[in-house]
Amino acid sequence: MKPDETISRRRLFTWLSSVGLFGSAALAVISNLVFFKPRVTYSPSARFAIGKPEDFPPGTRLARDVERVCIVREGARMAAISTTCTHLGCIVAISDTGFACPCHGSRYDQDGTVTGGPAPKPLPWFKVSLAPNGEIEIDKNQQVEPGTYFTV
Amino acid sequence: MSTATKPPGAWNAIRELPSNVWSSIFRNPLPSTDLERASTSFTNFFLHLHPVKVHRNTLRPIYTLGLGLISLFLFVILVVTGILLMFYYVPSTTQAYDRMLDLRGTVAFGIFLRNMHRWSAHGMVAVVFLHMCRVFFTGAYKKPREFNWVIGVVLLLVTLFLSFTGYLLPWDQLAFWAITVGTSIAGYAPLLGAQMKFVLLGDTTVGQEALLRFYVLHVAVLPAVLSLLIAIHFWRIRKDGGLSRPENAGSPAPPTNVGVVKMRLEPGAESGKRTVFGLQGFVRGPFTKVGNVPDDSVYSWPNLLLAELFVLVLTISVILVLSLIFNAPLEQPVNVMHPPNPAKAPWYFLGLQEMVSYSAFWGGIGVPTVMVGLLFLVPYIDRGTAGVGKWFARERLLANTIFLTMVLVNVIFIIIGTFFRGPNWGLVSPF
Repeated sequence: MKPDETISRRRLFTWLSSVGLFGSAALAVISNLVFFKPRVTYSPSARFAIGKPEDFPPGTRLARDVERVCIVREGARMAAISTTCTHLGCIVAISDTGFACPCHGSRYDQDGTVTGGPAPKPLPWFKVSLAPNGEIEIDKNQQVEPGTYFTV
Repeated sequence: MSTATKPPGAWNAIRELPSNVWSSIFRNPLPSTDLERASTSFTNFFLHLHPVKVHRNTLRPIYTLGLGLISLFLFVILVVTGILLMFYYVPSTTQAYDRMLDLRGTVAFGIFLRNMHRWSAHGMVAVVFLHMCRVFFTGAYKKPREFNWVIGVVLLLVTLFLSFTGYLLPWDQLAFWAITVGTSIAGYAPLLGAQMKFVLLGDTTVGQEALLRFYVLHVAVLPAVLSLLIAIHFWRIRKDGGLSRPENAGSPAPPTNVGVVKMRLEPGAESGKRTVFGLQGFVRGPFTKVGNVPDDSVYSWPNLLLAELFVLVLTISVILVLSLIFNAPLEQPVNVMHPPNPAKAPWYFLGLQEMVSYSAFWGGIGVPTVMVGLLFLVPYIDRGTAGVGKWFARERLLANTIFLTMVLVNVIFIIIGTFFRGPNWGLVSPF
């Protein structure tokens, strides 16, 4: 056997073990990142019932701070607008002209469109539906186009 | 008479026990000669962090202002008071606030410990920042100290993150909304922003998971990271030739980076293939001369140690006095329905929040990223060697002006955010 062949075998093993070592290290890092991302969260469900349609008479604009959503009813049409400020996540309050954020002064109109302040996006609208038991159900995991109403 | 073969008497052993134990612990008597001073620094675990001799410039209070040391001592105070506070704290949304009230009302010295921890934390953020300013304005980040500057920038960031994670723990209104605002800023980062925020909070909103995560980061992960980085920071100060100083301070300094000096150890060593190196050959940077060489250095024992002791006593005294006079604030317990108006971040992030009020992405992510990036790159951009070791050197007018402008802009934003912002983040007069 020629001496340089011996060296190349040694080099091969060096390479293989390096790949093994660094590969394992990379795998360890990735699995730690996976570990840090929770699979279960303990916060309240994003889909919830808010009551019968008749609990919300026409003209209602009711902010529910626990679920961070504003229930709007105009005539027979209902919608749910997020009250989480799209700027930095504060809870916006209902104001005369729509919504106003206490943290950085973002302002929105009645439909959640930005009218002033640093907010980059309008307030999202959530899907409203009627559950089989006759209650209005809101799903915060499903956004709908602003202006999309659910007719009760 | 066989006394000569008898082992030393047990009586003697007992009689000499105290002095034997003493001398086995302490290798040197209290030094009275230069040799003993050197030996004391060299052989003691705690003292060997120091060089045997230091340059006089290192000891000039007006040069360093002791800011690095003050940062270290504040960190030590924070570790000690933090560990004590851990004995009474529970990272639970239902208990944390009550534990704060307990610290204030029933735990012996509880309020005092909490004050010390809070004021030291604020102090550390401020002093670490000032330390960075000192290093910049004296040009101390120049070759060969570039990488230590980079470590210093990381130390500043870790300090800020430590302070930020600690901010949530009292679980009062201030804590909750400051963290809500702060983590939303992280959510604006491109690509991974939303993921990052979710992983940091462990949930979609600030709650029990976030409190637990911040707690673990605050009491275990970040202090460990900070300690390791501090150790490297100090080690490199030594290996980079001590603190920076003017080129011509005292005796003419040898070149700052001599690399490996080949020293022929035995005759004929060069004739073979191998070159033999003396260990001395690996020493980089200005050498410490020992012996009758005229130079401008003094023995660390007692000069450096006394200076350090003075800074330590001063730091502890100031923190003690502050903690006796001012109580750490504690607001109402968390009410997730009602953000305070205005909801403000901790003071050192108010500059950031002020910028965020103009544009969430540029204020919260864009500009800070550029600034931190510039900080990391400064020693690799600014390669001139003139004006090192001098405050506001004329040769460094441009660099100093740019840095000072950045500092002032930040300070002005912090002042505006702190004093001139009222409800709905509108402009108000503090007077």
